[in-house]
Amino acid sequence: MNAVFARPGLRCVVVGVVALAAAPLLGRAGVLNDYRAVLIGEAIALAAAGLSLNLLMGHAGQISLGHGALLGVGAFTTGALTPATELGLPFVVAVPAAAIAGALVAFVIGVPALRLRGLYLAVVTIAFSYAMFESIFAAEQVGGGSAGIALPRPQVNTFLFSKEVDYLAILIGLFALLWLVDTNVTRTKIGRAFRAVRSDEAVAASFGVDVTRYKLLAFALSGAMAGIAGVMVGHLKLTVSSSVFGYERSLLLVVVVVVGGLGSRVGVLVAAAFYAFYPIAMPELFGAGVRGYDVIIGAALLVITMARNPGGLAGTIREQLEERRAGRERLADAAASGTDDADGSALPKLPNMPRPASLAGRPEAHGNAPVLEAKDVTVRFGGLVAVADASLTVPQGRIVGLIGPNGAGKTTLFNAISGLEVPESGRVHLLGHDVSNLGAAARCARGLGRTFQNIGLVKDLSVTDNLLLAQHTVAPYGIPAALGYAGSTGSVEDELHERAATAISGLGFERYANTPVGKLSIGQQRIVELGCVLVTAPELVMLDEPSAGMSPAAAENLAERLRDLRDELGRTVLLIEHNVPLVLDTCDELYVMAGGVIVANGAPDDVVRDPVVVDAYLGGALT
Amino acid sequence: MAELLAEVVVVGLIAGGIYGLFAVGTVLVYRGSRVLNFAQGEIGMMSLFLAWYLVTERGLPWIVGAVAALAVAAAVGWGFERLVVRRMVAAPRVAVSVATVGLGLLILATELRLNGENPRSLAGPISGRGWEIAGVIVSPTQILALVVTLAVGVGFATLLRRTDFGLGVLAAAQDANMARLVGVPLGRVSGFVWAAGAAVTTLGALLIAPTVQAFAPGAFGRLFLFGLAAAIIGGLTSLPGAFVGGVVVGLFEAGAGRVFAEATFPGLETLSIFVLMLLSLLFRPEGLLARSGGRRPA
Repeated sequence: MNAVFARPGLRCVVVGVVALAAAPLLGRAGVLNDYRAVLIGEAIALAAAGLSLNLLMGHAGQISLGHGALLGVGAFTTGALTPATELGLPFVVAVPAAAIAGALVAFVIGVPALRLRGLYLAVVTIAFSYAMFESIFAAEQVGGGSAGIALPRPQVNTFLFSKEVDYLAILIGLFALLWLVDTNVTRTKIGRAFRAVRSDEAVAASFGVDVTRYKLLAFALSGAMAGIAGVMVGHLKLTVSSSVFGYERSLLLVVVVVVGGLGSRVGVLVAAAFYAFYPIAMPELFGAGVRGYDVIIGAALLVITMARNPGGLAGTIREQLEERRAGRERLADAAASGTDDADGSALPKLPNMPRPASLAGRPEAHGNAPVLEAKDVTVRFGGLVAVADASLTVPQGRIVGLIGPNGAGKTTLFNAISGLEVPESGRVHLLGHDVSNLGAAARCARGLGRTFQNIGLVKDLSVTDNLLLAQHTVAPYGIPAALGYAGSTGSVEDELHERAATAISGLGFERYANTPVGKLSIGQQRIVELGCVLVTAPELVMLDEPSAGMSPAAAENLAERLRDLRDELGRTVLLIEHNVPLVLDTCDELYVMAGGVIVANGAPDDVVRDPVVVDAYLGGALT
Repeated sequence: MAELLAEVVVVGLIAGGIYGLFAVGTVLVYRGSRVLNFAQGEIGMMSLFLAWYLVTERGLPWIVGAVAALAVAAAVGWGFERLVVRRMVAAPRVAVSVATVGLGLLILATELRLNGENPRSLAGPISGRGWEIAGVIVSPTQILALVVTLAVGVGFATLLRRTDFGLGVLAAAQDANMARLVGVPLGRVSGFVWAAGAAVTTLGALLIAPTVQAFAPGAFGRLFLFGLAAAIIGGLTSLPGAFVGGVVVGLFEAGAGRVFAEATFPGLETLSIFVLMLLSLLFRPEGLLARSGGRRPA
């Protein structure tokens, strides 16, 4: 039994099947009457709608204020398919059809809105909500006008699910399906990409997440789930009209998701149950005077939650638990070692990560081509030439340094090499392959790993989650497989977790494994970032000022680690650094940039004595 | 044909001016805080209920009701900024906008609790039958609405461009930290835009109330949406753009209403505004009046 419950997917299925069988049985045993079955059904249908919006808002951080209308798309799709007066198709056809319709509609309105950053999706979905409510759904041809359309209860062969308790079983089954999909989203690269997009789009992109694509995926997936939820509510109500799917319903869903904790499935279920039961149960118990307070309370909670913790209630609770746990461990550690020093004892080492074996393959190197070759790269910002005809070569197994005064164009050249900046001219070859036309994500997948001056980590995700996210591009399973947790998904995920754990123990960061990265010191964050680069076993490691913000002792340790990287792990490194002793200590070769131009190149000791370099740094040689 | 066009233009301008006013409220808040205030329509609605109570129920002069409504709206906008927006300086802008959704719903639910679905009405400030222009009866209030709309627009544009305070508002929108460092009183700037945004919307609500005749809780959601569409079409940061957007939306609505007058399919005006919004985001995301290409800042 424990083995079953340790696996979230199986747990969902088992709970779903038990609950599904329970409803008709309890009904026939006379425990569950029709009235209660409808009430529970309403709660489950609302929770299903909540799950669909939760996927978009809670996981991916995008707002839809028109989710009620997406439910309507599902309900009126089944309205066009299932009634005997229409096509008379079976219920089992209506469910996937509604999911597809929901996803398609979401995709179409998502494309104009999600290409742009910010609040456009919220605005467009309000307009969508009103347009559907007043026009499409209100039309005689679609929604049957003010009378609405009648939706028959599902029929399988000769068995008609006309009893409320029997239909409840179908609702529970579909809800379990949505729950399972949501579980699979959260535990695969899809969910990690969503969370990264929610926290910081720029950082997500640097991890190789195609931000626009994942935002669209979140909305389309959410639309598909809303379509199914619409089918659930439609056949429960038996008759639906435009008024069921108005703007108020969309706002209620926002309340359910936010009050439910933003991102928490259980929270959504609880909040949905409250909002389904309250309008019926409370006036019965306390009189009509209490009517309407549920929405008032919900709206107030919505404002308070946002003002106090925009991450949502579930996030707050998780954070509190995490903090308490971390505190306890610190105390235990201190007691065990007799000191309270968390940092000084063990300096971090870099993990020796093998190249991912079962993970996405990379093209082999062309003969003995250098790992990186940038030729005549020019980057222009308007009238300013930031990088002019810069060429550099990084041979296999070397540490190459790139130094120069502030504003010399080093980071811009880095961006052009890693694909974040499109150069005006010039080519970039990685392992002998021309990658000039590939985006940052594709270059990342081909073995180019880099760090950022301002630390490219998702600050509110844990160290483990960042390390998993870092492996986004090397997880080869597709999105459909991930949704079903099918094919290689499970084994790949196991391997990703194993690699993340190896990296963490290599860094000596076990105690911080579940700590949000933002709570670590800058020096620690740089180490984690380095871990994130190494966890994918990149062919080329590009480090942008790794010692910035580190103590001198930590920087010394960093020099040692960089040599390990070359000598023991056989990695190739391109390094931007201002710490000259560190550079002289580690680099095999140096390039010097000034004013966008590479002014010198050669062995480190020779280069730093070059009068051109001294001039660039000090503005004139000391005589 | 020319008659028809004239009719569309007159109807479109009258409604478009009000949408422009709503859009100005949206743009002011967006410029000052980079937030869309989704509660604006409900704040306007709530203030309108106050005006209805004072004028229609208690028999006070229109101007008293109007001033009270404007004051309450400004107070709600200012108070929300004080209590919620200011605490969320570091929060993502999306979260602040969700909080405004909560405020809107809170007001809506409270209205429903107190008033139910009962429709109310509020007469205009100037009585009289009005004039016939191009076959459309135009009431004095509607003329007044156009004048007020233009005056408010020019007034805010001047305030923003010509005064230190206005430049502070613009600077705060560009870079809040930098603005603070050069001495812009960020708190006052932010409080001002939220109060002004709410008041401007309420002004629009007061002026359109006689035209819509009866209003019930939630009835302004659609009008506010048209204002939002106008703001988007105008580029979300431009005051002149907001007016032009308002007029475009008004004309489009009137045109669609006329063209589809015979259609049995319902709500084609709203549908066409939705499509217009999508097209505008696809082809002119930087706004109708933007000179150069490029996306506007998020």
